[in-house]
Amino acid sequence: MIVGSAGAVNAVKIPKRRMYEADTIAAVATPPGEGGVAVVRLSGPDARRIGTEILSRGDVDWESHRLYYGKVCDPDGGSVVDEVMFAFLREPRSYTGEDTVEIHCHGGPVVVRQVLGLALGRGARHADPGEFTKRAFLNGRLDLAQAEAVLDLIRSRTDKAAGVALGQMEGGLSQEVQELREQLVDTLVQVEAAIDFPEEEIELLQRQELSRKVAGVIDRISALVDSYEWGRLIREGVRVCIVGRPNVGKSSLLNALLGVDRAIVTATPGTTRDFIEETVNLNGLPVVLWDTAGIRDRTEGVEQIGIDVTLKRLEESQGCMLVVDGSSPLAAEDLDVIERVRDRPGVVVVNKSDLPRKLDGSAVSTRLTDLRQIEVSALTGQGLDMLKDALRECFLDSAEEPEVVVTNVRHKAALERARASLVEVHHAVDQGMPPDIVAVDLQEARDSLEEIIGTVTNDDILDRIFSQFCIGK
Amino acid sequence: MFHVKQSDIRKGKVYDVIVVGAGHAGIEASLAAARMGFETLMLTLNLDHIGQMSCNPAIGGIGKGHLVKEIDALGGEMALAIDETGIQFRMLNTKKGPAVRASRAQADKALYRQRMKRVVENCENLTLKQGSVEALVCGDGQVLGVETQIGEVFEAKKTILTTGTFLQGVIHVGDRNFSAGRAGDFAAQGLSGSLSALGLRLGRLKTGTCPRLNAHTIDYSRLSVQHGDENPIPFSFGTERIEQRQIPCHITYTNPGTHEIIQAAIHRSPMYSGVIKSRGPRYCPSIEDKVVRFADKQRHQIFLEPEGYDTVEVYPNGISTSLPLDVQVDLVHSIEGLEEAEIMRPGYAIEYDYVEPTQLKPTLETKAIDSLYLAGQINGTTGYEEAASQGLMAAINAVLSIRGEEPLVLSRNQAYIGVLIDDLVTKGTDGEPYRMFTSRAEYRLLLREDNADLRLTELGYRIGLATPEAHARTTGKQGRINELAEKLESTRINPSRSVQVRLDALKTAAIRNITSLAQLLRRPEIAFADLAVFCPELADVPADVALQAEVSIKYSGYVERQAQGLKRFQRMENVSLPDDLDYGKINGLSREIKEKLTHVRPRSLGQAYRISGVTPAAISVLSLYVYKMKAG
Repeated sequence: MIVGSAGAVNAVKIPKRRMYEADTIAAVATPPGEGGVAVVRLSGPDARRIGTEILSRGDVDWESHRLYYGKVCDPDGGSVVDEVMFAFLREPRSYTGEDTVEIHCHGGPVVVRQVLGLALGRGARHADPGEFTKRAFLNGRLDLAQAEAVLDLIRSRTDKAAGVALGQMEGGLSQEVQELREQLVDTLVQVEAAIDFPEEEIELLQRQELSRKVAGVIDRISALVDSYEWGRLIREGVRVCIVGRPNVGKSSLLNALLGVDRAIVTATPGTTRDFIEETVNLNGLPVVLWDTAGIRDRTEGVEQIGIDVTLKRLEESQGCMLVVDGSSPLAAEDLDVIERVRDRPGVVVVNKSDLPRKLDGSAVSTRLTDLRQIEVSALTGQGLDMLKDALRECFLDSAEEPEVVVTNVRHKAALERARASLVEVHHAVDQGMPPDIVAVDLQEARDSLEEIIGTVTNDDILDRIFSQFCIGK
Repeated sequence: MFHVKQSDIRKGKVYDVIVVGAGHAGIEASLAAARMGFETLMLTLNLDHIGQMSCNPAIGGIGKGHLVKEIDALGGEMALAIDETGIQFRMLNTKKGPAVRASRAQADKALYRQRMKRVVENCENLTLKQGSVEALVCGDGQVLGVETQIGEVFEAKKTILTTGTFLQGVIHVGDRNFSAGRAGDFAAQGLSGSLSALGLRLGRLKTGTCPRLNAHTIDYSRLSVQHGDENPIPFSFGTERIEQRQIPCHITYTNPGTHEIIQAAIHRSPMYSGVIKSRGPRYCPSIEDKVVRFADKQRHQIFLEPEGYDTVEVYPNGISTSLPLDVQVDLVHSIEGLEEAEIMRPGYAIEYDYVEPTQLKPTLETKAIDSLYLAGQINGTTGYEEAASQGLMAAINAVLSIRGEEPLVLSRNQAYIGVLIDDLVTKGTDGEPYRMFTSRAEYRLLLREDNADLRLTELGYRIGLATPEAHARTTGKQGRINELAEKLESTRINPSRSVQVRLDALKTAAIRNITSLAQLLRRPEIAFADLAVFCPELADVPADVALQAEVSIKYSGYVERQAQGLKRFQRMENVSLPDDLDYGKINGLSREIKEKLTHVRPRSLGQAYRISGVTPAAISVLSLYVYKMKAG
């Protein structure tokens, strides 16, 4: 069975000219933006040739896995583009399994673009997103789950998410699924042995025993399925809208959370007209904060547009941070906002705790009974840590981090299918269905798990029967 | 000797088909070719040993019974023969579900042989000759016939080799060994050389058999007896009932004393002294293998199977051995009931040449040279039923090829025979004789013994092998099944007092609404026979028809699910791979996988995926490549 997956193996989705063939691809392997060092990677049969042509120390002996010093020069003009370190990784001992050249250049975007441009000019093709990983998978360097984890890693937003992806790449999920598959195969072996060797004094697996085994696997699969939600939050983050009437300090709060000045902060109401999105890392949970224009009752013109956007964003967010001004009593405009966020998860931030308190907190809590109130001063930073904790708890209610996290929706679907099959097994056993019928769902459950790790079963079952049972008259 | 030019052949009769060998594969091959109307020559080393059961005197078993029924449905002989000569019929796995029920019968070996010889001798278009084939005659890139030991040449359009264990067979007993095809028959010495010269790769396999005991020296009084089924169910869909007298088998066990004797002499077994290098089948281990590999097992079961009505020879199923004769005697005497038993023929191991079957097309024709077909143990299989299946299919395809028609390749979802041949040509044997098991079939619920006729008779009839009677019978049965299914859906019962009383008597829950009999039958505790209390005429429905309706209604959800899986399977089967695909050119395939694909030359992406060692990643590369190729 071919496993359909995101891009990696699905034949039909890949446009014709992008067929996997022996061309050489190149791309910047480090994240965009300015950094100390950027890596331009070339992979494919011509990687070394191209490297030789654009590197002035091209006369080195190209020993594999050795770091060389050299200069990138325009082979036509001869001018030096950058001083670099470079390495040659001979196939198959590279990430992609192909000949690979990695050029570590200075991280300025202009330099990086030039180095890449030279490589492309000498015959390399710009790599598609994830193409290095795809090649690694096609060359058998990664299994499917690992390859997908790498793609998650590339897309992940925080270190924690990267950690989850890394765990999966190193086989965390593969290992767990492998173990569950082992258990199912062991069970199947007993069922099949009794079927194929009826005269061999093999005890038919007792119904209760079979049910017990299956139930154990169901529980572990359920834990994996549940971890998906956790993993999704960790990877994609939670979208949180910062709302409040004008001038309660929403942008200041955002800046305080980010630790830098991003949004324009003035005391003039309605300054934040553009929509501002920032990601903060709350102890591993990426929270996408949407700073919004203040919601006011009567507005017009440009501001009205900002407020429409705010309401739309509020609809799209998964939670809110309602900001109120602790130094003034609850205003009618506050009540409007409170109406808008009713029944949404989130936190009430009582800002300006550095000023004398004039707000009656119960006026808010009677209206928003489920939301915690946190006193904060965006100005002094007081209460910010508590706010972060409160936000994190609000979305990650189980503080417990699962050992293995499913982050890929295809994996989750396969796990759910496996679980459904096992529930059927349970059902069939309860109903007294014969072993050949029970085996159908057991096999389907096994097949679903194999979709995740990409194993082929073949004669596995028979091999095990022969090693476990004394078969044969 | 083998590369004789066509012009050198003495001009004589040209047969359509020559079948070399008259074992279970040879018989089905010869009969099928002749019955399809083609001039067929059957050549055997010994005319007295047609249809010999060299090992245990039984036909059928799990997975094998399925094969026999399929052979029958296609128009083969095996089922009819065992129905006439079986001395103990048993249905196995009766409690393990509809798909894995399997027929097995002990045979009277001599009667089975005689009956097969009679059928072969009296078959139209079939000539029977004794001769030891030593070489193949080739020319024009194909096999043109065979030459015997004494220089006789026979010409044919197609040649089918069914040589069993005879190719350079060597028998081992203890440290003694000698050339033989089986105990009492010469080996075939020259043919292996012909096959090698044609470029076919040969390997060596090992199998073995039990000593035979004299029934008069066995003390049955202390052994448990195993009777056959009270109402024996025939193998053939055309056999009405089994009439002949049935006789029992007995069961005894080895004990720690037996195991000590074996352990003490293990160095004298050719398997363990290193004399035999090839691996024996794991599912049919010798008693020394069992004792060594499962040392903690206290006893091993032995079935004492009579070899016929009129012989005292008994087959002690479970103690196949190649230990020296003195050890065989001691170990037999250590077993309860066998203390005085006399060994009439010693057990032995046999090594023989086989052709790795990945060198065959799914028609069983060799890829190396045209017009040469191989069937049975020469392809690395074991078992009479596996051999017969291949003999039948080789002949069918040889004939279809002569007729210029499309080959008949059964798929994995059509028949166990399809599973068997697909496994052979795709995966090969991996150094161990191949035996059928139900767990090899992915679509087990669809491939039942009971529906073999419904699956295959039409096909057998269309190619001219299954008889018109069989065809009419099957069509009629299908009609009655459909009628019955309809009747069960349309007959409804009301939740009336009298109905509830009857339900209660069947120990099943009351019904709340109007319920069809089909719905009722879906309840696990309700059998078809129970429905007669609501609809008396159901009692008259023939058992085979009732069974079909019952299975299809009771397990409809599961059958449906396998049918769904089948659709996914077929998507990959339907992506055909060209015969001349140059796998060496495909980037992204490892060298090992390229070699495997080049060797097997799979016909479809599905077949490629079943080659061991071919990874899902390789399959995606292959599918990309094919997609690109087709897109131009």
